[in-house]
Amino acid sequence: MQDTRIQGLRGKDKESPMRTLTSVELEAFFRSLEPDYDLRVPIALRDGTRTLGRMGEGALALEGGPLLLKPTSVFFPQYEMQLGYEGGVVRMQAPLPKPLCVVGLSAQDADCLSFIDEFFRSNYEDDLYFNKRNGAVIVVVSGRCGQDGEFLKIANGKCDIELICHGTGFFMVPYTPTGRRLCSETDLGREAADSLDLLKEESSALSTEEEEILQRASRLLLEDKVPESFWTEISKRCIACTACNLFCPTCTCFEVYDRRLQMKIERQRLWDSCQLDGFTREASGHNPMGSETLRTRRRIHHKLGADVVRWGRISCFLCGRCDRVCPTGIGIKAVSREMVQRYDGR
Amino acid sequence: MTNSISCVDQADCILVTGSNTTEQHPLIGSRLINAVAKGAKLIVVDNRKIRLAHHAHLHIRCRNGTDVAFFNSMMQVIIKEGLEDREFISARTENYEELKKVVASYPPERAAQIAGISPQEIIEAARLFARAQRGMIVYSMGITQHTHGVDNVKTLANLAMLTGHLGRPGTGVNPLRGQNNVQGACDMGALPDVYSGYQKVTDAFARGKFEKAWGVEGLPGKVGLTTTVAIDAMAEGKLKGLYILGENIMMSHPDQNHVRRALQSLEFLVVQEIFPTLTSEFADVVLPATSYAEKDGTFTSTERRVQRVRQAIEPVGQSRADWQILCEIARRAGYGGMSYSSPRQVMEEITSLTPSYGGISYERIEKVGLQWPCPAPGHPGTPVLHEDRFSRGLGFFSPVEYQPPAELPDTEYPFLLSTGRCYFHFHGASMTKRSRLLQREVPLPYIEISPEDAKELGLMDREWVWVTTRRGEVKAQARVTDVVRKGVLFMPFHFEEGSANALTHNALDPECKIPEYKVCAARIRRAR
Repeated sequence: MQDTRIQGLRGKDKESPMRTLTSVELEAFFRSLEPDYDLRVPIALRDGTRTLGRMGEGALALEGGPLLLKPTSVFFPQYEMQLGYEGGVVRMQAPLPKPLCVVGLSAQDADCLSFIDEFFRSNYEDDLYFNKRNGAVIVVVSGRCGQDGEFLKIANGKCDIELICHGTGFFMVPYTPTGRRLCSETDLGREAADSLDLLKEESSALSTEEEEILQRASRLLLEDKVPESFWTEISKRCIACTACNLFCPTCTCFEVYDRRLQMKIERQRLWDSCQLDGFTREASGHNPMGSETLRTRRRIHHKLGADVVRWGRISCFLCGRCDRVCPTGIGIKAVSREMVQRYDGR
Repeated sequence: MTNSISCVDQADCILVTGSNTTEQHPLIGSRLINAVAKGAKLIVVDNRKIRLAHHAHLHIRCRNGTDVAFFNSMMQVIIKEGLEDREFISARTENYEELKKVVASYPPERAAQIAGISPQEIIEAARLFARAQRGMIVYSMGITQHTHGVDNVKTLANLAMLTGHLGRPGTGVNPLRGQNNVQGACDMGALPDVYSGYQKVTDAFARGKFEKAWGVEGLPGKVGLTTTVAIDAMAEGKLKGLYILGENIMMSHPDQNHVRRALQSLEFLVVQEIFPTLTSEFADVVLPATSYAEKDGTFTSTERRVQRVRQAIEPVGQSRADWQILCEIARRAGYGGMSYSSPRQVMEEITSLTPSYGGISYERIEKVGLQWPCPAPGHPGTPVLHEDRFSRGLGFFSPVEYQPPAELPDTEYPFLLSTGRCYFHFHGASMTKRSRLLQREVPLPYIEISPEDAKELGLMDREWVWVTTRRGEVKAQARVTDVVRKGVLFMPFHFEEGSANALTHNALDPECKIPEYKVCAARIRRAR
């Protein structure tokens, strides 16, 4: 997938003008992709929540805002086998039978995905990640389909296809050659008579306050204006549940270990958390990050400080998951706001 | 709990005692932290400087096992200063004069001496709690696991009634159950003296009801044995066969050597488990059961909420759901009355025979569970108990006198050893030690010791020590920390290679037979 930003989304491709589809038609569209793709779509669970699943595992549920489970977990799952040893034979992770097609990312999720694409590609290419990521089709959902009527920011790229909800259906906007091919092959729905302008205006009018706060917080950290006492105070609220890390689409730390079963050994990797003591404890017993103050500081500083120095940008894209899941209200947005209120503009 | 978990958000003063809430009930612990951030006052009565103590307006570090003296003294202050809720006392309670008489002999000066704190701390706690509009008491095993555990609970109930902090949102006496479905297990009669819904086996009417429903005659009217007493009976050769479902008693019961002898004395042992454990090593038959992810049914939470658990994966290997195993055993033993097709059908029988579950059905709890008592199909469930009246009518004050724990430090065993859980392991650790990151976080048995004591013994952090009591000796890593007070040791019981329950003793509460895990005498020495 390439980030080929199309300027002026309207009727750009003459052979396949932009189409609008209802949810029912979109379901048929996804079904039509099934022979060629392993589909992951937002589905409704029986308890009323939504998650990413396969077609048929639950009713398609495109509306309702970003999924709680990070969609990047399709490419970087919580745990996976790196290699296995059984009966004198070493097994590697097999290539996927079909490429993945992941539906339901938010615009922010697409930013996160671009970031970890770069992370997993740099220095050496992470074969486990790209085994799943290469050839995958990414579909963002945006527009008038958030929770309680919230407008979801339009991605305007960074994916193969964007489904922009206009209230009664979705504009289907392709950005890449693959996206355009898939969209042109369907005659579902109808050609869109309306333009995207209104929706794009609505998206541009969304508040940028959170981004500004994040940037101000980042500056405070880079200028070393946040005292240790602040982190001690925040860390006292932390119950070390590690949910912030587990739900963050740009958290990429993993642990490698050998899982020994009766007749075989599997080398696995699984998501790790910088909020755990064991994450950095040395064999001697010493831990250079041995206090909750240091670990809490690290969590925020990594995204807002270290990554700015390493990658040239903040690696939090405001997907909102850590703030949603943190049981004591110290997600990155809340902590940044607190930092800015206390230490900016002195 | 008399009340609901959400009542934490409504209380303006919360008294937490004997509960390391953020570590053992993290979501309730988080609610407490959030409540304090929104202005609620928090009193933590706990010997250890637990995480929650950092948020407390008052953290009172009573000596372990002195709870009755402390709370009696709080009540003495409340009555002396006229802070009691007279209206509640006269309208809703009886035996108040007796309470007054007993607590009168616990002035703060005396109780402070027993509890190793200052009189002022008692006075402040009394005023803060009694003056609250909505005061909530939250406790857990630090209150119950004593030879006077029942006395501790009665004392807390007395305090709640004295201050009128009962029967309204944001109040109540709220025990946090130690396991996800221990409430449900008790509700279903997994106790020696009751059928489901606490219907007494000694009650001929209840027996008749179950005999009719199950098509049998002669259900026993005799109360059975609690597990702690059953282990004694096994060791004495009086109990010869045992069927254990999902419990690793070698790890979780006090005095491991005693438990070992008891298991060895059995003629026949069945263990139904999801993983091999120290206990299953003694088994004649192991029945592989399913984990939470492989089964369907309901769990009943600490707030009496009956809620669905849904099967996510097919049972692995030859494992089966507990209910299927039990039904199959009944069938092979010659009883044909347990041929259910699904957990839903089991629930239908439960609701037909259990008045407090009478209005619960799978349809009603599809999305959100219901809190019992829920006696009829249209009943909304009961978030707050005792709103207009107590189960017995008037609330009965049951004043009790302070009794010291069964075994206290002496010159031979100078430390007080308390045991419990840590954040990263659960109970006998048969599940959590198999989780890579949890095991990495706490891989070794450890014991907390105060910096003062460590200095006196010349111990360094993470140095290996021998811990000895009259029951046994185990090796553990010393964690030098101000979480514990001078003279006190704390050890979690999760580790096979350093089992805290090789050290604890089987001294029981005379009424409910709970063992005194929280206090015994120990000594400690460097392992080199």
